[in-house]
Amino acid sequence: MTLMKEKQTYNNINKEEVFKKLVQIFGKSNVSKKAVDLYPYSYDMTECEAHMPDFVVIPEDSKQLIDLVKFCNSNVIPITPYITGNNVGGLTIPQYGGIIVDFSKKMNRILHINDNMMYALLEPGVTFGQLKKHLDENYPHLRYSYPYAPPYAGVVGNAILSGMNNLSCKIGSMGDSINGLEAITADGKIARIGSCFYGEKEADKDSWWCRYPMPDLMGIFVNWQGMTGLVTKCAVQLWPNPPYQKTFLVLVKGLTDIAPVIREVGKTDVVDDVSAVSTEVVKMTVEIPDPEKYPGEPDFVALFPISGKTKKLLEAKNEIVLNKINELKNQGKNIIVADVDEFAKIFNLRVRCHLDLPAVLLSLVEYSGLTWFGSYAPTHKLEELIQKIDEFFHEYDVPSFIYMKIMKSGHYGIFRPIIRYNKYKDGEEEKIHQLLNDITDFCLSRECIPYKTPSWMTEKMRKKINPGWLKLFEKIKNCMDPNNIFNPGRWNT
Amino acid sequence: MTEIRIPDNIMGKDFLQLAFDHCIKCSTCKYSFKSFTDSCPSGKSFFFESFWASGKIRTTRGLLLGELEWNEDLKDAIFACPTCGACMDACQAPHADYIVDIIETLRELAVKNIGPAQNQEKLVERATNPKMWNPYGEPNSNNEALKKKYNLPDKAEWVYYIGCTSNYRQKTLRDSTLRFLKKAGIDFTLIDEHCCTSPMIRTGQIENSKEFMRYNVDKIEEAGANKVVTSCAGCYRTLKKDFEKFGIDYDFQVYHTVELLKELIDSGKIKIKSKYNKKLTYHDPCHLGRHMGIYEIPREVYKKIPGIEILEMERNRNHSWCCGAGGGVKIGYPDWAIDISKERLEEAKETGAEVLSSTCPFCKTNLSDANEKYGFNLQVLDLVEILDSLEIEIIK
Repeated sequence: MTLMKEKQTYNNINKEEVFKKLVQIFGKSNVSKKAVDLYPYSYDMTECEAHMPDFVVIPEDSKQLIDLVKFCNSNVIPITPYITGNNVGGLTIPQYGGIIVDFSKKMNRILHINDNMMYALLEPGVTFGQLKKHLDENYPHLRYSYPYAPPYAGVVGNAILSGMNNLSCKIGSMGDSINGLEAITADGKIARIGSCFYGEKEADKDSWWCRYPMPDLMGIFVNWQGMTGLVTKCAVQLWPNPPYQKTFLVLVKGLTDIAPVIREVGKTDVVDDVSAVSTEVVKMTVEIPDPEKYPGEPDFVALFPISGKTKKLLEAKNEIVLNKINELKNQGKNIIVADVDEFAKIFNLRVRCHLDLPAVLLSLVEYSGLTWFGSYAPTHKLEELIQKIDEFFHEYDVPSFIYMKIMKSGHYGIFRPIIRYNKYKDGEEEKIHQLLNDITDFCLSRECIPYKTPSWMTEKMRKKINPGWLKLFEKIKNCMDPNNIFNPGRWNT
Repeated sequence: MTEIRIPDNIMGKDFLQLAFDHCIKCSTCKYSFKSFTDSCPSGKSFFFESFWASGKIRTTRGLLLGELEWNEDLKDAIFACPTCGACMDACQAPHADYIVDIIETLRELAVKNIGPAQNQEKLVERATNPKMWNPYGEPNSNNEALKKKYNLPDKAEWVYYIGCTSNYRQKTLRDSTLRFLKKAGIDFTLIDEHCCTSPMIRTGQIENSKEFMRYNVDKIEEAGANKVVTSCAGCYRTLKKDFEKFGIDYDFQVYHTVELLKELIDSGKIKIKSKYNKKLTYHDPCHLGRHMGIYEIPREVYKKIPGIEILEMERNRNHSWCCGAGGGVKIGYPDWAIDISKERLEEAKETGAEVLSSTCPFCKTNLSDANEKYGFNLQVLDLVEILDSLEIEIIK
């Protein structure tokens, strides 16, 4: 395992000198060591242990960050990148103190939209809301894809951590949509990856159009949780925004019957996204506050958005989905289909938050704490995963909240039990952590692979991962970050 | 995680509990909901998470748990905020409507432990001075001279509650309102009013608030009024919302002048005869808009003015950018207050309007200050001042 050099931090250089240097790099108003300013960066919505940073800085450009990385590397000071801290994995909690680099306040520029090759070149602080507004106002014919996350989560963070989106059935993980990256490595050098890799100087803004076919160095940064360098630019793919769109709202009775329904609908290959969530939680979107389940209610609610450039294309897709649903009904599956637009009219406009992403979903902001086991999952194991996790929820007397997706027409799935809880109620967090621990053990035993993973979970994974992978992982980490300054503690480094 | 024990003697105890139970720090409070525009002057200017609403909630938690120590370092994060309520409008969680109350509770705690922000103590020192009773430090006007000038009775159906800003700083608004009420035939009088307590509540200095509230209620009741009208959005919010929060009951109705104007126009009692051939943009005062939900009434009144061309700023209604004066910022952070206002004036200028109008004397003060400092060359006027300049027909 990579050696943690926390003990040496501030042995060579005292905190006052560090502060002076940071002020020199970033300017006085962009650096703080005040406890009140550091405190909000010490925690996130999860039960992951809080830890205070020593400093927070607000960078404006890559040049400042090169100076920072060189300084931190020579003085072995940890650096933790931060956008809005919405990762649900404790990833921006500075486990070993050091410096928080808050990208969201100034390095939040949309640098370029390439209309022809359909990509956006972004700084790390750009949020989903910001990108949506920019596209809607300037490029309404283009769309990005948005996760079920608050509107001010970071686009780049979500992409380089292989997060979700609402075109998952079509495009897969967000990690797959990255065309190029700019990153600062431990020696303070800038590396440009992807088709922007030609040339010594700043890359042409129209050169960020593809990831392949050179050796794929993107993998050194994607999913590494900031452990190998600071990503300072990222190009993400955009897609045509078809004028004709419709969403099926599908209610499925029978706890595990949702699994074949979403698998089969995913394989129709005409659906933009396939997501399913426990009914108890969906009810909160129509402002039924208590997530209780009543006898006879469907177990899951699924959303299947479809889209088309022409009305005819949409109608054809509509027919394919309906045929598939009828086929499933004929096989005995208990399915009710509704048009979500009509549903929204009957209930209230809150429902639209689920459709008009990015938006805050009421079910995710009802409590002061939220944690999950977010994982990539083999779709043939969904039935046993649903069954067992539902049992765990009942055992712990916690409302069942399972969220699933079918990715890339069914190549793989997402299985995500979510737990909302009161963070500040005596004993609650401990109980929730125990539940999550049980969920994790079971899901790992069924070969689920968590993403945006907290370090207590990667510790469990390490016991299952083959030694060759771990050794290679350590080699790369040591090579990229010999002093372990980049987000130390992640993946138990 | 340890349960947070909130002291029982805190005015906003219940609001804090609500926030601790529900704030997930999702960042939705940071920008206008769904329009994704900048809305928080505090966060936009000072950057760090501690300056945004969720950061303030977290700070409160840290202080109550003893994880943060009370010291001077805290002051900017707690007090450099105009409590404009943009966070309240953007947040979608159950505690959304109470975020300003939560910030005021944090200030209440801060005042007890480290004192108010720089210069904010003067607001109370002056208001509690028996020669003043107002936060501007002016000799108290018992309004008898005005009553005499406008031939007002001692008792009437209505009380015009002038408010300190209009009475001591924006006197043209006060006089326009007096003339207009008189012209419209409203049976009204004035009282020897004391500060409405808005500056005290907004800055966490609430010790004397109830006493002031009771005094003002007594005076209004002594005047025999069953209706109160004020041309100040801050007084309106305080009389209508905070009095109840502080447990002060009264038996009269509270109106903002725009509500009375709309009523007079709708009932056909007044008709605006002359033209106002100007391009105008309306600035929603935070205390009237986001705090009290009044967005359309003033717009409907403006629309009744013949010849007027109303142009909306990009951020309007619940998405309006604050003028920067509220929450004690004007006295505590005067330069920053004008910087906030500058952004609003730039937006107003972009519309092509020549008049920037509002319905709050405090907004008018700060917008005018920035207008003068940066030479925007806009006319900054209150709605009532505009109406006062026009020919009004009174239909008996």
